Amino acid sequence: MIEYESVTKIYGAGSKAVTATNNVTFTIEDGESAVFLGPSGCGKTTMLRMTNRLESITRGTIKVNGEDIMSMNPQQLRLGMGYVIQQIGLFPNKTIAENIAVVPRMLRWDKARIKARIDEMLNLVNLDPGIYRDRYPVELSGGQQQRVGVARGLAANPSILLMDEPFGAIDPINRDQIQDEFLRLQGKLKKTIAFVSHDIHEAIKMADKIAIFKDGLLVQYDTPEAILMRPANKFVSDFVGADRALKVLGLLRIRDAMNPAPKNLLQANEEAPQALRMMEERRLPFAFVIRNSKPIGYITPKNLKYEQGRVGELAEKFPETLGTREPVRDALAAMLMHDLSALPVIDDNGDLAGAISYRNIQKSILELYTEDQDD
Amino acid sequence: MNLITFLQDNYAQTLFLTWEHIWMVSLSLLIAMAIGIPAGIVITKNKVLAQKVLGGANVIMTVPSIALFGLMLPILAVIGHGLGKVPAVIALVLYSLLPIIRNTYIAIKNVDPALVDAGRGMGMSKFQLLREVEIPLAVPVILAGLKTAAVMNIGIAAIAAYVGAGGLGVFIQQGIARSHETMILAGALAVSLLAIIVDLAMSTLERLVTPKGLKL
Repeated sequence: MIEYESVTKIYGAGSKAVTATNNVTFTIEDGESAVFLGPSGCGKTTMLRMTNRLESITRGTIKVNGEDIMSMNPQQLRLGMGYVIQQIGLFPNKTIAENIAVVPRMLRWDKARIKARIDEMLNLVNLDPGIYRDRYPVELSGGQQQRVGVARGLAANPSILLMDEPFGAIDPINRDQIQDEFLRLQGKLKKTIAFVSHDIHEAIKMADKIAIFKDGLLVQYDTPEAILMRPANKFVSDFVGADRALKVLGLLRIRDAMNPAPKNLLQANEEAPQALRMMEERRLPFAFVIRNSKPIGYITPKNLKYEQGRVGELAEKFPETLGTREPVRDALAAMLMHDLSALPVIDDNGDLAGAISYRNIQKSILELYTEDQDD
Repeated sequence: MNLITFLQDNYAQTLFLTWEHIWMVSLSLLIAMAIGIPAGIVITKNKVLAQKVLGGANVIMTVPSIALFGLMLPILAVIGHGLGKVPAVIALVLYSLLPIIRNTYIAIKNVDPALVDAGRGMGMSKFQLLREVEIPLAVPVILAGLKTAAVMNIGIAAIAAYVGAGGLGVFIQQGIARSHETMILAGALAVSLLAIIVDLAMSTLERLVTPKGLKL
């Protein structure tokens, strides 16, 4: 847990004094990722650098796991926190293994433990230890280097991780991938993370909570959904963008918007005439065709008319299937692209988990707005 | 040829003078290293001190060697060493300081600030940062400074023959005094050859001590 209490930082003195952060108070709970977001010069990086005392605090207190950081030895404090920066900062004179071993070595772990830890960390960030262990940083691509940077930050298993625009210098394709990998890692490791970013998309993707800064002030500290649906003021709504409703689609998971028990189902072994009668009776424009609880395609009354076979043979295949954890945005994109008004959603076994339609999406967005008005 | 005959006739003296020359240069280089490298590191932490130290070393460089010997003569005469190897070694140390201090200072200063930030942020002390990161990365540039000092000192040591320090300058000095062209040539060639060999040797050493991760 990191607690910021009335944290103020003033650079310089007298008429040249610049207030970098002004009376900022908020708390990052255990296992939560807080993204510090804002335009450059808003104080977000200063906030992060005060957390491990790379910058001094002018007024206020920062407590880490309940302890005031000013009462701690700065080196001890930093050894207990992972630190990952935009410039990556791998030591070019050390091999990948030596880079990862820096903090464990300073903590005087024994050699065998460090060696095992290096391989464990490399595997964790999807780099084959056999290939990369003894290479030098210059031999790796930017994305690979930052994977090592993350591994180095996590090597001594700190409960807290400070990340200063860690993926900012990586090309967009690799950035997306490394963000996904990091999310997967964080799902397992549950670190308490302070993460500086200037990218609203990254913040929405990575954050449990977003702290939006402007001119040294904390403007809003809330979940990404709340920031998008309920911006505290014009600055926040401008910063998150006019398309914030669309950004919500990227945030909402399909499982939260889908209909978990669609009624328009047909078994694949049903005869076409019976199926047609059923659809006409219930006025279904189309139905999902299921075999062994897996969706195999869809069918419309037009497909069934004058046909005698089984439904399974007449069904049209789905161009795409969606997982429960995918963002609603992907569902909407697929529906628009393939001109379908509904798509099946499958679980990890490939079984039907539900269905998602334009109406479901609309309803879930409306629900978010209604929740706002309740508060 | 005259030169070959001269060297054949005087090979024992040539060897001895060469040895003397190398000895003076090496000793002064060792002393200058012991002073200059720590000084270069210390002044990276203090801008004002850095300006003063580098400025001072610069001033010394501008004093011509023959004038420096002249200046030291009355001072060192007090302890009975106005002439000979003592003023020679002192002068060589003084001249070596600038390239050694300056290169050390620049090398440490030029270490990527992101590396320093990463090191500090991970909990390294200033000393750990120096030992693990800054010095290993600075070594090639520091060695380049040593090379400059060594090659320069081989030339200056030749002039030290005028204050009775010995070394290969003796051939040049005596050759001029006696109008013995072959002797001058022998001294000049030997000094030049020595400088070239040392330069090559130091360049090789520079390559060897450069951290592997910087060479890829």
